[in-house]
Amino acid sequence: MIARPKKNNRYNGALRSVLVITILASFVFFMAFGADALTVVVHKPIDSKPVVVKDSVASVAAFKQVYSVLMSPRCMNCHPSGDIPLQGDDSHIHSMLPKRGVDGKGVFAMKCSNCHQPTNTPGLHTPPGNPEWHLPPANMKMVFQGRTQNQLAKQLMDPKQNGNKDMKKLIAHADDGLVLAGWNPGEGRTLPPISHAEFKKAWITWLTTGAYAPEEK
Amino acid sequence: MENNETQNSRRTFLKTSLLAGGGLMIHFSGLAKFALPHTDEGVPAVILSEINGYVKISADNIITLVCPNPEFGQNVMTSLPMMVAEELEVDWTKVVVEMGPHDSVKLGPQFTGGSNSMRMYWKPLREAGATARNMLMLAAAGSWNVPVEELTTKLGVIHHEKSGKKATYGDFAAKASGIPVPKGVKLKNVKDFTVVRNSQKNVEGAKLVSGKPLFGLDYQHEGMLIAMIQHPPAFGMKLKSFDASAALKMPGIKDVFRQELYGDGFEQGGFDVRTFNEILVVVGKTTWEVMNARKKLIVEWVPAGDVKDTMAGRGGKTEVVVPGELETTAVQHRKMLEYAKKPAQQLRKDGDPETAFKNAAEIIERTYNAPFLAHNCMEPMNFFAHVTDEKALLVGPLQAPGWTEPTLMKVLNLPADKIEIQMTRMGGGFGRRAYGHYLIEAALISRRAKAPVKLMYSREDDSTYGIYRPMYTATYRAALDSNKKLIAFHVKGGGIPEHAIHANRFPAGAVDNYLAEGWAIPSNITVGAFRAPRSNFNAAAEQSFLDELAEAMGKDPIDFRLELLQRAKENPVGKNNDYDADRYAGVLKLVREKSGWSGVKDPKYSRGVAAYFCHNSYAAHVVDLTLKDGEPYVERVFSAIDCGIVINPDAATNMVQGAVVDGIGNSLYGGLTHKNGVVEENNFHKYRIIRMHEAPKKVDVSFVRNDIDPTGLGEPPFPPVFGAVANALYKATGKRHYQQPFALPKTEPTSV
Amino acid sequence: MITLNINKKNYKLDADPETPLLWILRDHVGLVGTKFGCGVAQCGACVVHLDGEAVRSCVTKASRAQGKKVVTIEGLSEKNNHPLQKAWLELDVSQCGYCQAGQIMSAAVLLKENKNPTDEDINDAMSGNICRCGTYLRIRDAIKLAAKENI
Repeated sequence: MIARPKKNNRYNGALRSVLVITILASFVFFMAFGADALTVVVHKPIDSKPVVVKDSVASVAAFKQVYSVLMSPRCMNCHPSGDIPLQGDDSHIHSMLPKRGVDGKGVFAMKCSNCHQPTNTPGLHTPPGNPEWHLPPANMKMVFQGRTQNQLAKQLMDPKQNGNKDMKKLIAHADDGLVLAGWNPGEGRTLPPISHAEFKKAWITWLTTGAYAPEEK
Repeated sequence: MENNETQNSRRTFLKTSLLAGGGLMIHFSGLAKFALPHTDEGVPAVILSEINGYVKISADNIITLVCPNPEFGQNVMTSLPMMVAEELEVDWTKVVVEMGPHDSVKLGPQFTGGSNSMRMYWKPLREAGATARNMLMLAAAGSWNVPVEELTTKLGVIHHEKSGKKATYGDFAAKASGIPVPKGVKLKNVKDFTVVRNSQKNVEGAKLVSGKPLFGLDYQHEGMLIAMIQHPPAFGMKLKSFDASAALKMPGIKDVFRQELYGDGFEQGGFDVRTFNEILVVVGKTTWEVMNARKKLIVEWVPAGDVKDTMAGRGGKTEVVVPGELETTAVQHRKMLEYAKKPAQQLRKDGDPETAFKNAAEIIERTYNAPFLAHNCMEPMNFFAHVTDEKALLVGPLQAPGWTEPTLMKVLNLPADKIEIQMTRMGGGFGRRAYGHYLIEAALISRRAKAPVKLMYSREDDSTYGIYRPMYTATYRAALDSNKKLIAFHVKGGGIPEHAIHANRFPAGAVDNYLAEGWAIPSNITVGAFRAPRSNFNAAAEQSFLDELAEAMGKDPIDFRLELLQRAKENPVGKNNDYDADRYAGVLKLVREKSGWSGVKDPKYSRGVAAYFCHNSYAAHVVDLTLKDGEPYVERVFSAIDCGIVINPDAATNMVQGAVVDGIGNSLYGGLTHKNGVVEENNFHKYRIIRMHEAPKKVDVSFVRNDIDPTGLGEPPFPPVFGAVANALYKATGKRHYQQPFALPKTEPTSV
Repeated sequence: MITLNINKKNYKLDADPETPLLWILRDHVGLVGTKFGCGVAQCGACVVHLDGEAVRSCVTKASRAQGKKVVTIEGLSEKNNHPLQKAWLELDVSQCGYCQAGQIMSAAVLLKENKNPTDEDINDAMSGNICRCGTYLRIRDAIKLAAKENI
């Protein structure tokens, strides 16, 4: 619990600022959630086969937004190029080097859920939580780290690299619990650059306009 | 050896307390009980006769040896009683070891620190064992009516060969305890040792692996409350006001209050160490409840401004002004650069270094920097206190009870015989627990709360309210003549808030023209001893510099050091050279041999060597380093140590291995930074501690075999690791490393 | 009120189910072998077994442990004779010893899932447990020794 000195040389209690952060964080969380619920209504019915209307310009533009989210630490940290997740807003290698394991849930005494609880642990620099916390499995690593827009777009559409997801499953994945966790990252962590609703809209737009991969520059 | 018949009220109090806990309760497993006042259940299981402060024997020959010095992992609870057992001639496998309470009359200085335990107790404990044995024999001789000279002892049994009589120590323990203490009892010849110099297992090993309550945080007491403190969030700040109304409404919370430690004009003694003098305290029923209530506190902290402290340590009373600046690491660095240019205090001068430098064909100058370090004891600071107007009981992890007691007497206004301090096993110390301010805090909190209280720090409290290793810098200069001969050596060291220079250490004494200078920048960051204080920086800087010099001179780094040592031995320059050149050279030669330094090099490794002398012992290491994904990894280390007689070889090896791992960790990753007075590394997510995958696979430890009285071991192997790592790192990367830590993570963690 | 099964015994405890298991064990049950080190799952001193997994009790709410089996260092073996405990004594691993309960609890999960761990397996399993005294070499050797005995 540390109150950081402020410029005007008045020092309020650590606890007050933490409270404010907590309130803000929950506000953001509810906002995202609320907006998300709305979006789901807009795009219903998702059970039926999604209609693709090809539009390369709109698709590439939408993917740019998607990419900005997927490459943000909240998504990329668990889609590393190696077998060790990344950590923090700067995406450093996860301290204590937990390994992916076959199922993506860690190995031996270092399984994800040994530290990562079903919910975020309160406080700064504590493990964020989710009931499903894991990396992609060893046979389907779904690497984001280091991928260009072109590479990542192609990879996302390749069932051999995306976890055997067809269009329907890809669209549904936007509401996956672990994806949503990116917008509820726990105290002290930045959110992805756009809201979940915006992300979902961009994601579906990209997919339903032909899932074009932006050209390599 | 004091007379065992001496009695005073304090002793009686302690004795009664101990008996109430059951005489055989080992360490503090019985403390919880004996701390309970006046219960009837405390009927002693066994009556122990106290032969002297260190030896207690029951009628059925259970031999209890009392360890005087607090245990923090250096294994004194095993090695100190081993020395008693050796002379007492008892079966080591059957003795019971008990941690003694603080009692400087019976148990000596009781100071764990400065690698002093073995050195300090080598003679007293052997004498205690030998004298106790002699008293038991005198008792037997009297009863059997035979000359004491005809008696022999073996494994706790007294024999009289002529008459065939034999009896256990227990049979004569009660009688022996009444015999006046004989003087001048002969000690064993080193050659005849059977316990000492043989590896004996940690007496608390079984308890450690089964989770027995041994540590301060494990201590329980009837009616005990938990206290935590809120200290200022930054060095240079103080408490202005607080609103505890929300915290007080939290479940389990008893009280929230402001607590001052020392009144105005309080005279600080040696280990009082400057601390935050005013803290906010939350007292409640359980730890989690107190932790939660802390989150509800609304506190206003303000800059403290300059503070005047009165120091009354060695050499009289002085007033010190502690600056109020909210320090930031980058500014600290800049200031050090400025100060380094100013004239400094001369610490030693031999010959005419100024002229030598003027006439030099080549001058090599290098500056080394190292950050503040935190001890990071695994068990955060804590202490139990039960203080009333009449007396005080304090239980917990503490390295220096003798230093803390006088301060307690002053702040509690109680005489020594009303203060009982019990030392638990410590979850690490490294110097941190020599400073008992947390004990003073606990005592004052208990008195105010009118309850038995366990004060505990969270990890964040512990990290941000440390008694840190200072921030250091040193500039080394060497003058070479046209034959590349070293003609002058100059070191100018500084630090915040002290410099690290040991002016009389190697290579002083080996160079004709030598100059050592020091300077310091006042600061409000709290600092103190950290495993091998000052040496832990010097060995890094000086040993790197010597490596670079050897290279510039075209010499093998070990040969170069040996040449200097040869000079220091045959024709020493100046006076007061701290070290023994022969023993220093000895460890270098031993590590050269063990590491195969001169043989064919394994291309897999980059090698570095360093040696150092401190705490009267000598240590040298050769480290074999590789680069793993661009990060340095020390895979293998060879260590050679001269600490005189090695009391418990396997435990000593363990300690050297640990010091090597600690040295690698701190040299590569250790460091504490500040931003506006706030410690930035407030938990292990930012303060990188060496872990399993970063530890070497092998640390090969060799001891120089000699019969010299034992000297320190906890600290000496630590400092030269820094230098050896730096030198190996140069070989691996082609780049000299002047700034610790050497291997910062590629990106600084900003969050996790 | 919360009911927990710890070391094969059922406890009915008057505690907030949000309380970390660590403090339930230490403050409510009186099992203090499980240590507090960092409070943020960084050091491993607080490792206990929850249905056989090496969870960090400092961040694991008591509510998560309900209906599951908690095993602490005190309950690892009947007579403190788990192969790891014996190996730890055989090699005299401990220095200060504060972290060792957590080390052993982590190592026990490793050995349960991997009877014959390599150096790399040991790294993968044990890098979450900090030992400030630096006894890693002996921890490594003790795990290997226990594995031998286990086979």
